[in-house]
Amino acid sequence: MNLDLLIAIFITVVGASTPILIAATGELVVEKSGVLNLGVEGMMLVGAITAFLVVFLTGQHYLAIVLAAGAGIATSMIFGFLTLSLSANQTATGLALTIFGTGFSALAGQGYSARPVTLLGPLFPAELATHPVLRILFGYSALVYFALIMVVAVWWFLKKTRAGLILRAVGENDLSAHSIGYSVIGVRYAAVAFGGAMAGIAGACFPLLLTPQWAERMTAGRGWIAVALVVFASWRPFRLLAGAYLFGLVMTMELYAKAGGGPLSAIPSELWAALPYLATVVVLVLISIRRDASTNAPACLGRPFLPSN
Amino acid sequence: MQFRLEKRPEPSKLMLYVTPVASVLLTMLVGAIIFSLIGYDGVGAVREIFLTPLTNSFKWQDLGVKAAPLIIIGVGLSIAYRANVWNIGAEGQYVMGGLAATGVALATYGMTGWWILPLMMIAGIAGGAAYAAVPALLKTRLGVNEILTSLMLTYASVQLIYYLVRAPWKDPMGMGFPQTRRFAADALLPNIIPGTIVHLGVPIAIVVALIAWFVMSRSVFGYQMKVVGAAPHAARYGGFSENKTIWLALLVSGALAGLAGMLEVAGPFQRMVPGFPTNYGFTAIIVAFLGRLNPLGVILAGIVMAITFVGGEVAQTTIGLSSSATGVFQSMMLFFLLAGDILVRYRLKRVIPAQEARA
Repeated sequence: MNLDLLIAIFITVVGASTPILIAATGELVVEKSGVLNLGVEGMMLVGAITAFLVVFLTGQHYLAIVLAAGAGIATSMIFGFLTLSLSANQTATGLALTIFGTGFSALAGQGYSARPVTLLGPLFPAELATHPVLRILFGYSALVYFALIMVVAVWWFLKKTRAGLILRAVGENDLSAHSIGYSVIGVRYAAVAFGGAMAGIAGACFPLLLTPQWAERMTAGRGWIAVALVVFASWRPFRLLAGAYLFGLVMTMELYAKAGGGPLSAIPSELWAALPYLATVVVLVLISIRRDASTNAPACLGRPFLPSN
Repeated sequence: MQFRLEKRPEPSKLMLYVTPVASVLLTMLVGAIIFSLIGYDGVGAVREIFLTPLTNSFKWQDLGVKAAPLIIIGVGLSIAYRANVWNIGAEGQYVMGGLAATGVALATYGMTGWWILPLMMIAGIAGGAAYAAVPALLKTRLGVNEILTSLMLTYASVQLIYYLVRAPWKDPMGMGFPQTRRFAADALLPNIIPGTIVHLGVPIAIVVALIAWFVMSRSVFGYQMKVVGAAPHAARYGGFSENKTIWLALLVSGALAGLAGMLEVAGPFQRMVPGFPTNYGFTAIIVAFLGRLNPLGVILAGIVMAITFVGGEVAQTTIGLSSSATGVFQSMMLFFLLAGDILVRYRLKRVIPAQEARA
């Protein structure tokens, strides 16, 4: 295998893993605050259709990313209001949010499927971005670098800042955090909104980074894989990186198998398409065998907070 | 004037039954407003989606046919959710039930006999239960979250259909279409009302719900499900095994989803096609909640949800509304229901400012 092909594969892997990484980074913060939002897939779809429509109508990629983040926040606030203000069941509300995002995005995108838009171009100048070797570092769009920066930023925020400490305290022991005067509900609203923004941007990756068009359910379960990835990473930001690139690799193998040629195409293409989901199950099994996985989960994950009782 | 939430000593029975009805009505009202605001004929949309299927007697047979799989799957999910077991992969178990039944139908092609349909039914039930056994095994042995595993297996099951109808099970006379051959007459569900599309699955759905209601309210099994779900510690103290409950919850809900898959492929579809997964497994989640996790409530909720499906198709042809609007209405209903849950556990109490100042 020559160097050119290896670089091409590496770049495809990075692209495929970027939306999962962004969504998982957001969900990690949400879960660290003690909230389980299973609506990632729905928020991603709302972000995807928002980004598509903005690019289709204005051609402004960065505006599309910002508005996709806004749409993700707006969607996440439905979840926030129901689970935090009305202490509704988080599992059921997250599922409802995914069903809502699927229906809403399909409705908003009605009549736009298969209409082409342009992809977001590389961030760096063409001499670097198209250089045969250096493109492995400089050949990506801003979203890819954003994903990496956010992993570091979230690690720094959770480990090194006071606000991050408060957020973790709320997730580990909500009653204590409440009794020393922190607003548990307020912190959780902020975390849910951050998760919504990240899921919206993750959704924007689909029309802007991967396939330059709108298709119903185009996120194809990647939001759920992001939720699984947080468990896989046992709530540690840097482990998200390893997990996301592993999934990116599996998805890239599917693309190369479908393109034909080589030993990969001997296996039915449907098996390749099913592989990311089966790999998720396998990964969850492996992680549960390791001992620290479940013990590292935030102690209040998924439990509603009811201070007055 | 300010209100404060006060915890009720016991959950309100009245609110438990009022909130599902209220959330349907609120969905119609708010749906009409929102759809008008974004430039659709909002009142028309609500009329076509919620009322036309009821007023137009030609649509009643469609209601029955759509409600049957929703009720069967919803009953299974309501049992699982009672036990706090979150099987959200019913769509995948429905697919595997349909595939297992298809396997029997294709293997017995050319044979005749009354035994073919019951055999397909057993295969469908076994297929769905077997697929649900995977999350059950992983959950009980390794503590793997059943939400994620059951859902991931759903995505994989859809690919299995694509593979089977593209290659080994493809109809040799199908002119290249990726689908199986049409099942032989003895592998198809009989119509129970001549001249309509109402098949045997409709009465089966009602019977399943009634049996489930009886079992859940009258048997030790039902009691175990409820106790483990509501008070796991007390259940352990009382000698109910949590792992056994997880197994039962997943096997029963998987088996029923598989049964629904068999009834659909042998009924409306008559063959396996790539479009077989029609989201019944996901919509049944809403049905289970709207029915208050009670098998009798699930019958009503299944009919309500069938109305929105049939109505969604009506609205598509009469006022050109996308069928995806149905999903928005359905999720809105669930949002209102979940929001209303707080009224079951709490009551609104007026706070008189003067009192608060004194306190």
